[in-house]
Amino acid sequence: MSKPQPNIASGGRAAATEDFRGMLRRMEAEGQLRRVAKPISPRHITALSSQAPTALLCETVDDYRIPVVGGIYWTRSRIASALGWPEGEMATRFAAGAARPVPPRMVGTAPCQEVVLTGDDVDLTALPIPFMHEKDGGPYISGGVAFAQDAQLGLNAGCYRLMFRTRRELGIDLFTASDLRRYYTTYLEQKRPLPVAIAIGVHAFEHIAAAYKAPVGVSEMEIAGGLRGAPVPMAKGRTVDVAVPADAEIVLEGELLPIGWTADEGPFGEFAGMQGDLKYNPIFRVSAITHRRDPIFYALQMPWENDWLNGPATEAACLRILAVAGIPVVAVRATEGGCCGWSVYAAIRKRAGEGKNAIAALLSLPVVKQVIVTDDDIDIYDSAQVEWAVTFRCQADKDIVILSGMKAKHVDPSVQPWKLEPGELPVTAKFGIDATIPEGIPAFRYERIVPAFRSEVALKDYLDE
Amino acid sequence: MNDDRAVAALAGEIETALQKPVFFSEILAAFKDRPYRTILRAWSDVRSRRPLARDVHGRYWLDDSKESSKH
Repeated sequence: MSKPQPNIASGGRAAATEDFRGMLRRMEAEGQLRRVAKPISPRHITALSSQAPTALLCETVDDYRIPVVGGIYWTRSRIASALGWPEGEMATRFAAGAARPVPPRMVGTAPCQEVVLTGDDVDLTALPIPFMHEKDGGPYISGGVAFAQDAQLGLNAGCYRLMFRTRRELGIDLFTASDLRRYYTTYLEQKRPLPVAIAIGVHAFEHIAAAYKAPVGVSEMEIAGGLRGAPVPMAKGRTVDVAVPADAEIVLEGELLPIGWTADEGPFGEFAGMQGDLKYNPIFRVSAITHRRDPIFYALQMPWENDWLNGPATEAACLRILAVAGIPVVAVRATEGGCCGWSVYAAIRKRAGEGKNAIAALLSLPVVKQVIVTDDDIDIYDSAQVEWAVTFRCQADKDIVILSGMKAKHVDPSVQPWKLEPGELPVTAKFGIDATIPEGIPAFRYERIVPAFRSEVALKDYLDE
Repeated sequence: MNDDRAVAALAGEIETALQKPVFFSEILAAFKDRPYRTILRAWSDVRSRRPLARDVHGRYWLDDSKESSKH
């Protein structure tokens, strides 16, 4: 029997209605995705993805008839390609889309339900769930978006990792505070299982919205609609009363069992780039697997894909907080080294004192731990220019701001979270560097050298074809 | 050997390997000549019938006397 091949070479729909495979097709056309035809073991997908200069679509996976794609959000340029946005406009585009939510549209027929497996046919080992990092506790579904729905609580979407346990069970990480944890706690108090659906292979609009902490009362899928500029088509699950994106590649339906935080889960390679701890978490028991006739499995590669899914939202939050502080901001950049959340560069059109004001505003964001603020003549996407500004516009005894005792995350080893009592939250010191031209120094002191007669010549005219 | 018999045989071998603490990656490495899916199916069978203990590093072992993993 011939192996079905997903038809991602066809399509060509407009971005507002584009699905996951349409996005992959466009990324391939833009040189951001490459196909690999040779057979690949599920244990080698992450090792190969980490070496690849593009996203990889592994067309032939040993023992499976389902191809696997990974690395699609690994860099700023790849996530920009996936979203169809210019790299320098991700913050403003995200902010604009999030500001005009569009409610989802329910549909009766869904591509994600072309094949429906229930009862004894439910077998998670039929999916090419990869083993990713050396110390992981098992194979992981890393690219799933979890949906929960309740009459009072509404529809929620979020990103959660799932560890393979048995043919029907996955461990789910609900260790940290989240909306899904809040839903689960509500049901757990009533000793009821929480119906949940996991969508694997959704468009970047839905994935980035699910990674975003939407304001109270707004569904993440409404944010996704705002990013798309069109309603997200959603369909009810076959065995759970939960809506999922109709054009997802694969959906797992089931329940979070009311067992609390009792099942071993992890370790897993975390979003900060370090191996995490063994945790005790709830179990997701699968009641149905639905998928397209020729599904593509998405294996999100840690840490950068996870980080870049948060990058545009971080940058949008920076724009918002600087606007509230009344600071004319030209550009913001959540850097890769800071996992797209901990470290931020901002270029501002400074008035006296606003370098420090910008630092204070940006450090008030929950995750941001270090900030560099420059003038608007610095290209903050060029790290050498940022370093130049720090070198020549900063006096360390005057221009470095340190704030102590601020909210932190457990994932940062420098806050020594293992010393905390159960339930105790970590705090951290934060700092900012004011790399703007100091007050009292005239701008001409920073006049850049310019090659003489630069406008008269072009190098390409002097090079051989 | 049909699939079910291969899975049952491998589950027995995995149980033997779990007499001492091992990472999941060591299970995959020890049986790398077996199909990946067969390993996952055998792992599923082991987890379904035997309690697996975990150490702080995340290593697994069979410890019927002390059920550190409640599920």
